[in-house]
Amino acid sequence: MKNRVSKITAVIMLVYLSVVMLCIFFRKGVSDPVNSSCKESDHISVSAIMNGSFVQYLAKCTADRFPARSRMIAADSMLRASANESIVNGVFVDRKMLLDAEISERGSVKENVRIINEFCTGYKGAVCFAAIPTSSGVYDSYLPEYMRKKPESIQISSLYSQLEGNIREIDAYNILKMLNENYIYYRTDTKWTSYGAYCVYRTVIQKLGFSPTAYDKYTINHVADNFRGNLYARTFYSQVKPDIIDIYTYPEGERIVGFTGYDNDMKSFSGELYDKSYLDSRNMYDMYLGEKRPFVKIKTSVNNERKILVIKDSFADCFIPFLTQHYSEIDVASPEYMDGAITDFTDPDDYEQILFLFGIDSMDDENLFDVLAVPPEERTAK
Amino acid sequence: MIYSSLLFIYVFFPLSLLVYYVIPKKHRNVSLLILSMIFCGMFGIGFLFFMTTYTFLNYTACRIIGKYIKNKSISRSVFLFALIFDILVIFIFRSEIFRGFKELISIPESFFPVGISFFTLSAAGILADVYCGRTEAESNIVSFGLYIMFFPRILMGPLMRYSSFQKMLRCRHDDLSGIGTGFAVFAKGFAKKVIAADTLYVLYNASVSVDVDKMAALTAWLGIISYFLCLYFTLSGVSDMGIGIGYCFGFRLPQSFNYPVFSSNIRYFTARWHMQAAHWFRRYITRPLSALSSSRIYKRIVFIAVWGLFGFWYTFNLNGAVWGMIWGTAITAETRFSRGKLLPVTGILYTFVIALAGSVFMAGDSLSYSLKYLFAMIGGNRIMADSLSLYLIKSYILILLISMYSATNLFRNLMMRSGRRRVQSIVTALSPAIVLSVFILCTVLISYRGSSDMILLRL
Repeated sequence: MKNRVSKITAVIMLVYLSVVMLCIFFRKGVSDPVNSSCKESDHISVSAIMNGSFVQYLAKCTADRFPARSRMIAADSMLRASANESIVNGVFVDRKMLLDAEISERGSVKENVRIINEFCTGYKGAVCFAAIPTSSGVYDSYLPEYMRKKPESIQISSLYSQLEGNIREIDAYNILKMLNENYIYYRTDTKWTSYGAYCVYRTVIQKLGFSPTAYDKYTINHVADNFRGNLYARTFYSQVKPDIIDIYTYPEGERIVGFTGYDNDMKSFSGELYDKSYLDSRNMYDMYLGEKRPFVKIKTSVNNERKILVIKDSFADCFIPFLTQHYSEIDVASPEYMDGAITDFTDPDDYEQILFLFGIDSMDDENLFDVLAVPPEERTAK
Repeated sequence: MIYSSLLFIYVFFPLSLLVYYVIPKKHRNVSLLILSMIFCGMFGIGFLFFMTTYTFLNYTACRIIGKYIKNKSISRSVFLFALIFDILVIFIFRSEIFRGFKELISIPESFFPVGISFFTLSAAGILADVYCGRTEAESNIVSFGLYIMFFPRILMGPLMRYSSFQKMLRCRHDDLSGIGTGFAVFAKGFAKKVIAADTLYVLYNASVSVDVDKMAALTAWLGIISYFLCLYFTLSGVSDMGIGIGYCFGFRLPQSFNYPVFSSNIRYFTARWHMQAAHWFRRYITRPLSALSSSRIYKRIVFIAVWGLFGFWYTFNLNGAVWGMIWGTAITAETRFSRGKLLPVTGILYTFVIALAGSVFMAGDSLSYSLKYLFAMIGGNRIMADSLSLYLIKSYILILLISMYSATNLFRNLMMRSGRRRVQSIVTALSPAIVLSVFILCTVLISYRGSSDMILLRL
């Protein structure tokens, strides 16, 4: 009997493996649930084959094209959340919200801060720095105690203590912490909501010398109520309610008169402050500022000739609309998407103010600020 | 690419089975060698190049030793030269001492020859066997290459004598029922790695996230139990997967672990823990060294020292050596002092406690850390339990109990030895469905990351 059962096992398993294999081969990488794309051809090169990164790419493709992958990840979350501690792929799963469970495992920000300090030494205008906590920083009391070994409040204060010169620091952490009863963070994403951004904007804009636009002047539109963010993409855990995306408009206020994005070859593209076509995609948050570009110039109807340079990561996307009431030009640089140096796009000395706005989670990214690493002498020479 | 990855299980493995069974019987060894080379190449062409050179050098050394076996001076110098080369290779890649040397010959930091601890020992073993005349030098480079590079063996052994491997090459059982058994064994290893080891690893990391000076006793116990079980499930899981793959190609590779965790005494434990590796150390180091003198004390010292070496082989630091010496000493003490019959429960308990004490050293980075950890375990920090330990128990009790049960041989005994024919035949009849469900379940668990990497040790 055993022999026969072994044979049956063999046949069943061989059929199963071949079916899955064929699915992987002939399925287009459409499911693509984890923000990954399988189309980049630069993985197929001699050097990629030499160093094994080609195989990593193959492994990624296999995972992306795996049949019913998103359903599998969802099943994975359900299983783990019910069997043991609710950590799924580095995400802490709670019924109320999803939180990044790896906040204590971030690396050193030293090198990045050094570059920022160096960048700011030669600069004459005012510099503001806002390090924004992620949702797990503000709601860390939901996390098990051992994950809070290095809370974000400490990460941020240690970052601020390393900043030199006249950089003005924005205490976003305490502002948001105080308001944590409100809908200031998405339930399924690490980032803040427009309301969270508004609360911090009030402080930032005062430090920059303006008075903030009052909350009741805004008309708020819920443009989507089914947003599922980056933490959802890691767990597919559907017990948590999807999020709402808001647009704050100020009908009597200033208007946008120009929105130009630049790619790394300085080719210009016109765009919109809110690109609603993204509401039909998975990356709904990209609606703010539209397609990811290394450099964006926003011109407004404000008549004060004041210009600000915002150096930022994705946290700033929903923040920038609030600035449009105060500056006639807002230039937005995203080091993540920038090749080369920031000076290729603009001269920082042209601005009277620079605002750094980053999520604390990206401050340890290696080489993130390399685009700023231009010696000041060279800059003045320019 | 390791066994527990989607790419391996759902692409490489089925394709290699297809290639292997389509090719006529007489070319199957060559096809296996080519498949193994592709497998190596998947870690980077650098690794493939390294492996081919390494295999070729050892093959040449074996041939020379075999040819000049009568001329002791030539064969001895070649043997010593090749042996030193093998030892040097494992030291260069596994210990930190040679960091400078690696930079000098510009080996990238990321390059690590996977399975180096196993194939260097295999190579050293065949050199010694040929030199001592226990086996003839292999003239067929395909067979020799397979011995070193055979992909079901390369990640985690099992270490075996060349003559046994040769026998397997000659009489293979490559048929459908072999494939079925292979899948069943693979599923067992897959589950051990993905369900048990990976979850226990999270528990271990959570437990040791507190400072060792402030650790509650209960947390320390939880941490070390999870480490010990995780170590067992990782090592035996990966080697089971390898054995399963071997079965699918008709190789009945020997088991490495035989339910050691809850053994009723220390000798049983050590006889069932990583058997093939332990056997290698006994055969190639303990025996020749013990033969040098007939003094009993000398023999005991050699025995303990070789156990220390065995532990050192795991971690390449002093802590591993302490792990080994604890076992060596414990076996010696048990043989010397245990008189009469113990209750099995007592035996299981003290063996388990010694295993945990050993694991404290295996897990720690330094001796002082491990001693502090032991201190925390006996309540030296004056905290018996805190909110963390209770939280961890509450969250992980289920997986801990399941994995402890699966670490025992209770289920195996139920299937093999007890008289419950009906249970046995039901389980046997259901086994195809069980194997398939285990595959699907484990695939679900690795679906996000795409693989479950080897953690704890880089062997």
